[in-house]
Amino acid sequence: MLKKEQNDYLCQTGPGTPMGNFFRCYWQPALLSEELPEPDCPPVRVKLLGERLLAFRDSEGKLGLIDEFCAHRGVSLWFGRNEDCGLRCPYHGWKYDVTGQCTEVPSEPTESGYAKKIKLKSYPLIEQGGVLWTYMGPPEKQPPLPQYEFSTVPLNQTFMTKRIQECNWLQAMEGGIDSSHVSFLHRGDLHNDPLFKGAGGNKYNMQDLSPVFEVVESDGGLLIGARRNAEDDQYYWRITPWVMPNYTGVPPRGDHPMHGHFWVPIDDENCWAWSYDYHPTRALTDGEVAAMKDGKGVHVKYVPGTYRPLANKDNDYLMDRAGQKAGRTFSGVEGIGIQDASLQESMGPICDRTKENLVGTDNGIIMARHRLLRAARAFNDKGVQPPGVNPEHHTVRQAALLLKRDVQYKDGAKEALKAKKGVRQTSV
Amino acid sequence: MQSESAKMTTAHEAGFRVQYPNSKQRAAKVIALDPASAAIVEEISKKSWNGAAFFTSLAFTAEGNPGAVGGDLKAWLKDLAGRTMDLVAEVEHSDFVVVITTTGADARAVSVIADACALFNKSLVGLIVPGQDDSDAATTESMKYLRPYTRMLVIASGTDYIEAMLTALRA
Ligand code: FES
Ligand SMILES: [Fe+2]
Repeated sequence: MLKKEQNDYLCQTGPGTPMGNFFRCYWQPALLSEELPEPDCPPVRVKLLGERLLAFRDSEGKLGLIDEFCAHRGVSLWFGRNEDCGLRCPYHGWKYDVTGQCTEVPSEPTESGYAKKIKLKSYPLIEQGGVLWTYMGPPEKQPPLPQYEFSTVPLNQTFMTKRIQECNWLQAMEGGIDSSHVSFLHRGDLHNDPLFKGAGGNKYNMQDLSPVFEVVESDGGLLIGARRNAEDDQYYWRITPWVMPNYTGVPPRGDHPMHGHFWVPIDDENCWAWSYDYHPTRALTDGEVAAMKDGKGVHVKYVPGTYRPLANKDNDYLMDRAGQKAGRTFSGVEGIGIQDASLQESMGPICDRTKENLVGTDNGIIMARHRLLRAARAFNDKGVQPPGVNPEHHTVRQAALLLKRDVQYKDGAKEALKAKKGVRQTSV
Repeated sequence: MQSESAKMTTAHEAGFRVQYPNSKQRAAKVIALDPASAAIVEEISKKSWNGAAFFTSLAFTAEGNPGAVGGDLKAWLKDLAGRTMDLVAEVEHSDFVVVITTTGADARAVSVIADACALFNKSLVGLIVPGQDDSDAATTESMKYLRPYTRMLVIASGTDYIEAMLTALRA
């Protein structure tokens, strides 16, 4: 349970809100590289943290993320002409560069310098690992670039998708921390999905349906360990990292690529669920990429031409009651991502946490909220740099491994939980 | 026509959630396993709670059997007013039990509490908070005491988490 003030505090991320200030300490995924594929391609509307922005790539390939609306009379620059190193408003021809600087006001003599006095708000936009990242905080506080391993391996080893989710970011992200739902909601998928099946560790999941949990704080956030009994006085551990504010990793299975998510607020009632899949040491196979494109694993199928899932609230998520009854899926909804999205959207646009009744096994979620509140307050009240800003905090890896029963996994899995160039993931 | 899911997931419709309570008060029993955690629990118990009861285990006090686990289970807990309490009865009348220890402390009393929980099928949550010695080795020691018995074990970096967790659980 959260008190209403706490819930509001965590869920509101618009400009000037405490949590909004907090989110503006971090680099966040803004667009896929594929959305701005080449110089002078069409500009793209982007709404992030409650701000309407426009992204474009100019004639020289430079990236810009600027205020969506023309400073003249407020037209959306989405209609603009992207040409000759700038975006020109189609209404009266004012032109802007990637920094939002107005470079031409055709009605005024160039010599007057009028254009120099016009500048739209802009944010840095950088490309790394197939993702265009932005940082929306004060320029003097801009942190070093993100170091999440999925974004630093060669491009043929990594694959990223995003889907819109029509609810507040926090209830979406909590699904990424909530290890105890996996044995229910997703139970059918372990054996069928090409991106999970066949892993040696899967047998432990099946033999032991009620894992026991251990939550440990880490420098950047949390580690949530789920353990099951294994042979020879060992436990089979699945360790999920959470890095503040909104990154979660899914423990790996066998040699399958590793996946995880970013949960990025669009506004208070919508978010982007980003889903990566990467392998630290090898190229993804054609089969794997085909499966990901086909919406397998943590990815989804789309309404053509959009990033909206094909199964969405408008078609009741293609609910299949016969499949539910027959046990093909636990909830009647197909696919891991949509199973999560359907339930999290059903909570309403902003979950009312005053009505919850949490249990002991929800401690991962309780701790994540506690740490967010604590860090956001320390930042807003005292300017303390939050965990997860330092790129070293990004280099944590998810892991699945066997450990002796009396070993603390933070110790025993220390090396496994570190991203190391050229070193395969630790997985069974 | 708009699908039912689309209609029902609007903020407007969220306003029609029934206003009746969806749970009854639950009895949480919070037990400190060592002197340092007993001091922390004593402080926390002064706040207003929703029926939670706070105890210290007697294993480490003179009234208990110092250093050894066992003795009279009828007088195995001490409430914060200093009365000795019957462990078995307290657990029987609980909905869940939380044990708290500080890193490096002797927490073997957990095994007796866990036996009582097992007897009545109550779930046991363990919380390890930093003590005088919060080294990795000390944390591992605490973990070894608690791990065999807890369905959820939390290793927290600050004692403020105790209160946060109990509040979240409506204790
Ligand atoms: S069982 Fe967890 S939300 Fe219903
Ligand atoms: Fe899920």
